[in-house]
Amino acid sequence: MRALDAVDFELRAGELLVLLGASGSGKSTLLNILGGLDMPTTGTVRFQGEELTGADEDTLTDYRRHHVGFVFQFYNLIPSLTARENVALVTDIADDPLEPEEALSLVGLGERLDHFPAQLSGGEQQRVAIARAVAKRPSLLLCDEPTGALDFRTGILVLEVIERVNRELGTASAIITHNAPIAELADRVVTLADGRVQSERHPHRALSARDLNW
Amino acid sequence: MFVSALNRKLLRELGQLKGQVLTIALVLASGITSFIGLRGTYECLERARDAYYDRYNFAHAFVNLERAPESLRTRIETLAGVASVQTRISEQVTLPMLGMPRPAYGRMLSLPASGSGGLNAVVLRTGRLPLLDHDDEVAVLESFAEAHGLRPGDEIPAVLNGKLRRLRVVGSVLSPEFVYAIRPGAIVNDPQRYAVLWMTRGALASAFRLESAFNELVLRLQPGASEPAVLAALDRLLVPYGGDGAYPRRRQISDQMLSTELGQLAALGGMVPLIFLGVAAFLINLVLGRLISLQRPEIATLKAVGYENGEIARHYLGLVSFVLLPSGLLGALGGVVLGRFVLGIYGALFGFPDLAFGFPFSLFGFALLVSAGAATLGALFAVRSATRLPPAEAMHAPAPARYRRSILERIGLGALAGPSGLMVLREVQRRPLRTLLSSLGVAGATALLILGRFGLDSLDSYLEGTLRREQRQALTVVFSHPVSSRVTGQLARVPGVITAESVRSIPVRARHEQRKRDSVLIGLPEHATLRRLVERNGKLLPLSSDGVLMTTKLSEILGVRVGERLELELRQGERSTVHPVVAGLVDESLGLSIYATSEVVANLEGNQASVSSVLVDVEPAFVPALEQQLRKSPQVIDVSDLRADSQRLRDMNSDVMDVWTFVAITLAASVILGVVYNNARISLSARSRDLASLRVLGFSRAEISRVLIGGLAIEVLIAVPLGLWLGRRWGELFMSGVDQEMFRWAVVVAPTTYAMATVVTLLAATASALWVRRNLDHLDLIAVLKNRE
Repeated sequence: MRALDAVDFELRAGELLVLLGASGSGKSTLLNILGGLDMPTTGTVRFQGEELTGADEDTLTDYRRHHVGFVFQFYNLIPSLTARENVALVTDIADDPLEPEEALSLVGLGERLDHFPAQLSGGEQQRVAIARAVAKRPSLLLCDEPTGALDFRTGILVLEVIERVNRELGTASAIITHNAPIAELADRVVTLADGRVQSERHPHRALSARDLNW
Repeated sequence: MFVSALNRKLLRELGQLKGQVLTIALVLASGITSFIGLRGTYECLERARDAYYDRYNFAHAFVNLERAPESLRTRIETLAGVASVQTRISEQVTLPMLGMPRPAYGRMLSLPASGSGGLNAVVLRTGRLPLLDHDDEVAVLESFAEAHGLRPGDEIPAVLNGKLRRLRVVGSVLSPEFVYAIRPGAIVNDPQRYAVLWMTRGALASAFRLESAFNELVLRLQPGASEPAVLAALDRLLVPYGGDGAYPRRRQISDQMLSTELGQLAALGGMVPLIFLGVAAFLINLVLGRLISLQRPEIATLKAVGYENGEIARHYLGLVSFVLLPSGLLGALGGVVLGRFVLGIYGALFGFPDLAFGFPFSLFGFALLVSAGAATLGALFAVRSATRLPPAEAMHAPAPARYRRSILERIGLGALAGPSGLMVLREVQRRPLRTLLSSLGVAGATALLILGRFGLDSLDSYLEGTLRREQRQALTVVFSHPVSSRVTGQLARVPGVITAESVRSIPVRARHEQRKRDSVLIGLPEHATLRRLVERNGKLLPLSSDGVLMTTKLSEILGVRVGERLELELRQGERSTVHPVVAGLVDESLGLSIYATSEVVANLEGNQASVSSVLVDVEPAFVPALEQQLRKSPQVIDVSDLRADSQRLRDMNSDVMDVWTFVAITLAASVILGVVYNNARISLSARSRDLASLRVLGFSRAEISRVLIGGLAIEVLIAVPLGLWLGRRWGELFMSGVDQEMFRWAVVVAPTTYAMATVVTLLAATASALWVRRNLDHLDLIAVLKNRE
């Protein structure tokens, strides 16, 4: 069985894309391939004209290190590091990063720099994760169900941050979700089902995050 | 066979934990190996000794005297507490063996009239005992016979009472009195140069003109008899006959050496297995603790469907039995190999009639029981936390770990570490007990490495100090009886001789207030350059005519201080009692001697300037000529070369120590592997999510390895200095078990030994960590990130 089949798909600079699909539709596999965590068995993946398919381990590590920012459903913060240090993890190894404080201000956490993850709420932890993802000024921000573990109000707050990062830093962003209303803040929405692209539409940011409702 | 579902679960989990189970089993097996190997050998030797002493009637007390009539024997037999008495003749002889530059030193003993039997009975190994009317027949100690390839019928030259004779060897024997056969005054046994020979009483009596008389007495006590009372009664009776003090079995040199070795072996057999048991208990606790925290939902489910706490506890304790089984088998096997090896060493050193390593079933049972106890104890802490959980609570994930800033950060050094360094530091600080116990485990292994090597370092340091500072002679020439001090001058004029200094030794009994101890008074030239006396701080201590110097240990035993007077009862010659002042204390590693200038000793003796031995410094090229000359002198009983003896002692020890070092490295590596591997596996399991997150963020494998291994590195870095210190302390503890009146070697650990222990520890730790690091290559980034912890 194929997780993805005949997916011909492009993510453009500065674009805010929502990948919509039910669980098992192949959207996470697509995101993992885009992020250099996984490789398709056939087909090709290119990043800024460079072929990623068949790249070795070191090239992929380098790709993730310099170009990709990840945001996960369960935040994946390092519990032994404070908010500032979690961001510094990335800024220490990136080429032209934001200051950790700057990245955290961007997500509205300028006041909670020295808190450990266990001292932060779920929404705050997710915002630290976003700050960590964007601090390296990635070319690509990949968010896997970023609101999946959050309540409605906190989820909106997180989406606002992603929207703002995309707008202010011009980072190409892809949000994976099974939550259809979120699609309305995208430039473009791609719907996946059974590993294939089912439809593609262009809401052109019909709503901003704060106007969403679900 | 019916296997319950719960047991199936256990078996499958064992499959997943096989690396951990194996390494813990290895640690436990090392514990059982060392216990069976060391303690087993100890018990085997102790049994062999007791059986030997008992069967061949080894005496309880010994007296040397000048000459007493045989008729005195009946009076001694009637002393209260005496069970049986044997009088005999004991004389020193020299054996100018062909092909040896210096003659062998021999002790000639008379056989009882019955031949075999009696006290200190000999064990015939080859041939037969001398026959009554055959005056030239001797039986020789087996070790000497073997060293010279002597067979019954061979002849050997011997100087008896100044006359060279040819004696016919008719058999070789062992004796409980010479289990460890060492030349008087020597530092190491030398079967080539030390012989004990047995002759018929009549033959020996006529050679030394001791017909109807004896000069040595051995006796056995009645059960419950007071040893001091019998010894005192013997002294009272025998002083008029030149008795130089009755002494008990424990002061008999062979028994003393045997006891010392046994004591060391017992200490080792108690100390070493403890390290392994402690580490194994800790590791089982670590592994089970992690397994149980991962299985909270399973435990909750088991409880929810009606399993009782006892059943769940037994389920996890089942894991312990799977560790015990292979360790028991491996440990038993290793124990037998180690035991045979160690017994082989002692077998070569000690003359026992039969010595075989029997498998010590009771020890094995005990080792299994203690191992099971230690392992269960380790497991119980972990299991208790599982059974205490209410099912509803167990269904939830445990509360997230809380971290604090580390001590280094609070003192402002946090910036140096960087975020990944901080991850390491905070993790270490969050589990201080685990860090401490892991470090202690590794430190135990490092200490073990030092324990296997410090003996040789201490010996080297002792020999070096002795040869360089205290005993600088090339040869020691010993006379059968005191000779005139003119001999020293004659020796000094022999070509090639640089210096010759006389030594006078007189057995004495030293008393101060109520305390007394047998000792030797040694007279040396006032400005001696060969035999020198040294204080605690290494400073030379000059002899003066104002008083005597004594070893610090003897002053402690007698409770006498510098400036006080002590009573010395001379047990040779005039036998006067004198009261010299203690002028200073000498720090020597061997014996309990008292020193004075030759003049003082001559005065105490009644102005006879006599000499017991002469120390000679000689040009190496002239040694053979000097030895040739000394061979001809009937008064010279022994010529010894301390440097050669030291080298021999060192070589003997060094061979054994090399094997010990190998054994210690193997055992220590198993501990380090167990601690580091299991710690790393647990860290990996507990932190795989963090590590996978770092990989996704763009960290390379090498970078996340540093995060994983950083904590272990800290534990090992704490462990190394702790282990080096601990090793030295154990060495001291070990040496304190040795008879301090005999040996007082300073415990010395050479820099090379510290370096060896450090390198082996670091190598073993690195290899174990690298083994775990392979698992990082298989870290499933996607799976880890999909799950909430």
